[in-house]
Amino acid sequence: MLRWFFARLTRRGAPTDDEIARELRDHLELDAEWLASSGPSGARDAQFSAQRRFGNVSNINEAVRHVWHWNWLEQLEQDVRHGLRAIAHGPLYAVAVVITLAMGIGAAAAVYSLSHTIHDPFPRLSHGGLLWITQSNATCGVDCTQTSPAALAALQTRARSITAIATFHRGVVLRSSNGSEALDGFGVSPNTFETIEAPFAAGRSFPKDAGQPGAPGFVVLSYDFWQRRFGGSRGAIDSTITLGERPFTVTGVLGKGVIFPVAADVYTPSVLRTEDASNYGSRQYDVFARIAPGASIAQAAAEVSAISAQMVRESPKTDSGWALRARPIADYHTDDVLVLVQISAIAALLVFLAACMSAANLSLSRLAARRHELALRTALGVRRWRLARHLLTEALLLSLMAGAIGALLARQGVHAMRDAIPADFAAFIPGWVRLELDGRALAFAFGTAVVAMLAFAALPVLRATRVDLSGVLSEGGRASTVGVRGTRVRSSLIVLEVGIALVLLTAATLLTRSVRNMVRGDAGVRVDHALVMHLTLPQMTDSSKVDFYRRLDANLQRERGVRAGGVTTTTPLSNNSSGVLFEIPGRPPEPNGRPLGANDQHVSPGYAAAAGMHSEDGRMIGAQDEASPTAQRAIVVNRYMADAMWPHENAIGRLVTIGNVQWTVVGVASNVYHGGLDEPLRYTVYRSIYQSPNAYSSVAVWTTGDPAAMRDTIRAVVARTEPTVAVGDMMTMIEMQARHVSAFTMMASTLAVLAIVTTTIAAVGLYGLIAYGVAQRRREIGVRIALGARSADILSHIAGGAVKLTMLGIVFGVTGGVLFARLLGAMLYRVTAADPATFASVACTLLAIALTAALIPSWRATRVDPTVAMRD
Amino acid sequence: MAPRSDDRLELLQGTLDMLILRTLLFGPAHGHGIATYIRQTTSDALVVEHGSLYPALHRLQRDGFISSKWEKAPDKNRELKFYRLTAAGRRRLRKEQSKWDDLVRAIGSVMNPLPET
Repeated sequence: MLRWFFARLTRRGAPTDDEIARELRDHLELDAEWLASSGPSGARDAQFSAQRRFGNVSNINEAVRHVWHWNWLEQLEQDVRHGLRAIAHGPLYAVAVVITLAMGIGAAAAVYSLSHTIHDPFPRLSHGGLLWITQSNATCGVDCTQTSPAALAALQTRARSITAIATFHRGVVLRSSNGSEALDGFGVSPNTFETIEAPFAAGRSFPKDAGQPGAPGFVVLSYDFWQRRFGGSRGAIDSTITLGERPFTVTGVLGKGVIFPVAADVYTPSVLRTEDASNYGSRQYDVFARIAPGASIAQAAAEVSAISAQMVRESPKTDSGWALRARPIADYHTDDVLVLVQISAIAALLVFLAACMSAANLSLSRLAARRHELALRTALGVRRWRLARHLLTEALLLSLMAGAIGALLARQGVHAMRDAIPADFAAFIPGWVRLELDGRALAFAFGTAVVAMLAFAALPVLRATRVDLSGVLSEGGRASTVGVRGTRVRSSLIVLEVGIALVLLTAATLLTRSVRNMVRGDAGVRVDHALVMHLTLPQMTDSSKVDFYRRLDANLQRERGVRAGGVTTTTPLSNNSSGVLFEIPGRPPEPNGRPLGANDQHVSPGYAAAAGMHSEDGRMIGAQDEASPTAQRAIVVNRYMADAMWPHENAIGRLVTIGNVQWTVVGVASNVYHGGLDEPLRYTVYRSIYQSPNAYSSVAVWTTGDPAAMRDTIRAVVARTEPTVAVGDMMTMIEMQARHVSAFTMMASTLAVLAIVTTTIAAVGLYGLIAYGVAQRRREIGVRIALGARSADILSHIAGGAVKLTMLGIVFGVTGGVLFARLLGAMLYRVTAADPATFASVACTLLAIALTAALIPSWRATRVDPTVAMRD
Repeated sequence: MAPRSDDRLELLQGTLDMLILRTLLFGPAHGHGIATYIRQTTSDALVVEHGSLYPALHRLQRDGFISSKWEKAPDKNRELKFYRLTAAGRRRLRKEQSKWDDLVRAIGSVMNPLPET
């Protein structure tokens, strides 16, 4: 057996091709001689009948070679050569198929890479058994994913099936010999790293009693920060760094690539203080949980819901309307991001389908055109299986080329998507900065494309190899009729492609218009000639903070090129906001039983002018609103809140209760869309930053000239006022606005690219179908022309078919488009999802493109020379 | 006159190899000679398809049961490819032959049972 195998492998004693041929030829000759000598017929007849008796020489030759050769490699080589020759023979077809498939593979791989990365928010952490717990309120829209301290305390003390931990963003200032640096810090529950099972590159997690009041400070560093600051030195462990004014001992460094919950520099332990635990109003925690051993996800989710219900029963005043929900960690994103990813996934799937359909369509046309050749080859004795292999190899070669180009396109696409979101903004979309082409996504898209290609190659192969020889050959090369069934399949594919193109084109148009409306619309805040930046104050007394803010306003006002400058807690369009619960004395409880909440801004006197807000009644926050206990507790509300709380009445002098303190309304300010035009207007209260001096704030400056040119000047003003204050995130409001809409812009351009790709695919497909039909019907057209048909008749006859298909596609597309646009609904600003104008214009554009694609081959049909066509 | 095609016998699967080996027992022969011999011996009842004959010859040679050599044919003025049995081929033939005899006996006893004694 082994010898046999070896002999086979080495082809020992194998005859050469010449020898085999000679042996078979000898046989024929001997047979002819024998027949001639034994029969009456002549030598020539004998030779023929010998040949007839012998059968197909080339088949026998091949069968003999088959015996000797370990054949597949040789055959593969032959198949590939054959395939390449066939491809070279129809280069236009090959290019069309490769480009079509490549675009489909590229789009699918890019978008599914995005989807994979987004749904893997914490690289290097085991996602199994990790949950994200959110607290949401039906009234506050999509963004309420953070949790109140009271809810956190309840989860930590009552839940049996989970270990809950919390993180909150806490910007800190690193003090060192060469100045201050603002860091992204996170306060985390002391047992966080054990709970999430985070790997450490060096050192260890916090000690047991860390984070208690009065305990020494401990800090865990991120890997990147460790590299940046300590050059990756082990000496960093147990060393001390100064954050704010306090020393912190470094206990460990997280493993490389660990990101939790978003990119951060340092983590400090933080335990809930008892006064925090009763705080229901502020919702600033991201809560995660690990399911206890033995508990199931369903159990954990049920327990979380039960605790949520319990809390509402215990303190209906603050907690009614709020619900806790345990979600899989893959959902750790704002709903906006999840919707965006979902929409692009659907869009990419549609493009991928369109690409596969189009490639299939092209290959069906191609096969039909080669029917004659295939029949001839079958007649010449090429065995069916070989023929099928040739066609399959050809399809495989084309898909391989498409795969290679598709991979390049996907990489470009992924990088374009990643870079479309500014880095500082992207840092808060878990996974975004790591966005790379995902091998699995590419492999999946490529694999599916290959399977689709082979399936569609195999379909006609089955038909082609069953080609009725005499039928095709007796036509003498004149394929006079088109196979009706084949055309019908191809036509339906075109209809679907047009439909998909319409869906994507309308979605892209709607979103683009919406983004334009957002950028052009008036959010009530100054966008031109405005510069904003973030401030982080070191630990200092409240009075020195007030003093700093007071001097900063004055110094800004004095600076050349500055028209106005002031401080607020959160900048509009920055996607940061803080909220506060309030009551109006004497006002009956809300019909839904829920507490009232407002966007809470602490501002300096200079802020209103800098931000371009104006007073609509009374006055704005001014220098008289001081920190002194005797000063009036003054509050300014926005127009929206004034109209809602005191309709048709004067708001000035009314009272607003926040916590247990009563504030007097001194003015009504113009409305500001703090969360951008895409979000609803909210109630807003403005109070003096002097009365509650915050350690984190934002500076807004109104400049006379180009705001970007003022960066260094403003930085210098802050440093001159107080050198220990760290400045960060400086940008013009134009940049802020672009950043705010960047996700929409990216989405719009992604959809636009996908839409253009699909439209191209559909147009090429339509062109191919019509061109093929014209080529097939040359004789018929020739006859018509010969019988006196005018060019216009031929043109309308051929192009009319294309128009019919396109219209059918448009009908399908409008239906799908309305459904798809509904998904976009939440993101659209001042554009209705089922906008008739958009649908109509897109449909017209598609029709025009389809007509153009159809007219070229139709025009060619009118040029058919009947004398030539009929002689063919 | 050759019998009509439906009177021809189909070769039993696997018997072609045995027939070739048996034919070569008389001495070296070329492919055409083997085919002719089998047909004439069976009075045209067995016609070896050439599409089977040559692959079979090459398979037997590959597996070492026969060898081949280009030799001058005794009655022709040119070289033809002659096949001859090897020692392994003889052993193989013996084995095939005894298996075949057993098979014929077994089938025969079913088809023509001996009268009971």
